[in-house]
Amino acid sequence: MSRKRVLIHVVAWSIALIWIIPYLGVFIASVRPYSEIVDGWWNLHPFTLTLDSYSAVWNHKTYPLKRAFVNSILIAIPATIIPILVASLAAYSFARFSFPVKDMLFLTIVALMSLPQQVVIIPVFFLMSDMGLINTRLGLILLHSSFGLPWIILFLRNFFMTLPVEVEEAARIDGASDFQVYFRIVMPMSLPALASIAALQFNWVWNDFFFALILLLSPDKYVVTQTIPMFIGRYLISWDKVAAASILDMSVPLVVFALLQKWYVKGVVGGVIKG
Amino acid sequence: MARVVVRNLTKKFGNVTAVNRLTLDVRDGEFVVLLGPSGCGKTTTLRCIAGLEAPDEGEIYIGDKLVNELPPKDRNIAMVFQSYALYPHMKVYDNIAFPLKMRKYPKSEIDRRVREVARLLKIEELLDRKPKQLSGGQQQRVALGRALVREPDVFLMDEPLSNLDAKLRVYMRAELKRLQRELKVTTIYVTHDQVEAMTMADRIAVMNNGVLQQYAEASEIYSRPSTVFVAGFIGSPPMNFIECTLVEEQGEAYLDAGAFRYKLSEEQAKLVREKASSSELLLGVRPEHITLHLKPVEEGIKGRVYVVEPLGAELIVNVKIGESILKVKTPVHGELKVDQEVWVSFNRDRVYIFDKRTEESII
Repeated sequence: MSRKRVLIHVVAWSIALIWIIPYLGVFIASVRPYSEIVDGWWNLHPFTLTLDSYSAVWNHKTYPLKRAFVNSILIAIPATIIPILVASLAAYSFARFSFPVKDMLFLTIVALMSLPQQVVIIPVFFLMSDMGLINTRLGLILLHSSFGLPWIILFLRNFFMTLPVEVEEAARIDGASDFQVYFRIVMPMSLPALASIAALQFNWVWNDFFFALILLLSPDKYVVTQTIPMFIGRYLISWDKVAAASILDMSVPLVVFALLQKWYVKGVVGGVIKG
Repeated sequence: MARVVVRNLTKKFGNVTAVNRLTLDVRDGEFVVLLGPSGCGKTTTLRCIAGLEAPDEGEIYIGDKLVNELPPKDRNIAMVFQSYALYPHMKVYDNIAFPLKMRKYPKSEIDRRVREVARLLKIEELLDRKPKQLSGGQQQRVALGRALVREPDVFLMDEPLSNLDAKLRVYMRAELKRLQRELKVTTIYVTHDQVEAMTMADRIAVMNNGVLQQYAEASEIYSRPSTVFVAGFIGSPPMNFIECTLVEEQGEAYLDAGAFRYKLSEEQAKLVREKASSSELLLGVRPEHITLHLKPVEEGIKGRVYVVEPLGAELIVNVKIGESILKVKTPVHGELKVDQEVWVSFNRDRVYIFDKRTEESII
């Protein structure tokens, strides 16, 4: 190995190590009793392996994490599917059809991406309140869906433009209507892009804390990210429980990523997907 | 099966007129080739017939029906694209079955027809594969199968052979022609390859800059080109053009090219006087209608060998006469050296004269 390669390896491993230490710390804290980690998870003597914290948070009396998981899943799945369905149809028409003010409309949608959540949350709160959607899962699903629309439209429109238009024309000649062209030809051809979008949007919704904090008020509706701080406790911080809950929380995006990774990488690599 | 009539078709893209008042009549069962350089409007014409582009002016009839307002699916046409445009996520079987599925044929009928077409095209053993597992030639056959399966009124083909290698292209050319004869389906075929056009077509429509130049059988296009463009586009190597002026001396008419004079026959002179808009003319001779002599001959024009291009059995000899260079196709001729003096003579029956200003044929 040349000296340059050795150097590259050393640098890469160092960065990876720095990156992984916090996760390692959280993981080690989550599998040891509170008494052992209160002075720091890096003190490895004594070392008792236990999953008590996991069962404690999972079946917690007032804030059971399993209920929060159900809530998170009930929000994240529809908040992934709805925007993808709506945005992909919009993106397809931006990519393939011409209509008045198309470019202006597209620019507006892209500009909407730059709006920070904190700026819109107050009007959104009043809007939700007027519609009676405060403290409902539906409200949060709609909010996440609408926040997902702009970037998914941008992403998919760019992707659709890379697809060979002859294939769609062939389908049109073969007797397909606009919707049939979309659902039977374009959508199956776009699976890699759709899968990578699904992974990103799902993880985005799953990891959200801010919107949930503002819109979900009763503990029985709390999502996972909202529930973790509840384990901090009034007089002392139960690091073991916080760590266990965090690990459980993180595991879902990791699993989603692992399942969709093949597609995800393809999607990020972008329009190079060929039939 | 049906005839196709295009009347005064005009299609513009912004300021560019892609097709300009094109009128074309394709008989039932005929194989017509739209031929021209890229950007001449041939593909746009085809796409208008398919319904993929809406004409700005003019009418298109398939059978006796005006189809201007009909979507592609209701025109009962089938199209083969240059890129084949197979559905990448479907197996070959489903690709071929797709047009039938869209038209809600019963399953057993679909299966029967797909297998029949697969047998015809010899792709039976490929039915379970995906398009990307096929070679170019196989994909081509699948695209053809998808077009054939529905038994359409009209086949539209957009340079279907141009993505194949040279050998396969020659083979498929013959296959396609045989298939078309067998099925007797009206076919409109777009290509920029004159050899393809000459070998396959019943009639050729030569286009340039969106305008139809000539519409006739291959032999007629070759032997009686109506414009300078057609004369120069058909034939390989292309026709030689020599700028000249009409000169009359002592009752005889000559074409004066500067370096030489070409004496017109009585009949030729009469036609030129009648039709030419001025005395500025273009003399056109195909390389295969020029004879090369190593010694002076009567009516021979003296020149020097500029370059010799051997083609195996034949030679293309570039002869420099004055400032212009004539290409001459000739059987192999012993030793020809660069700068050697040679004489050329034109086959009198195969000399063309064009009006230089209008570019239209006079003789």
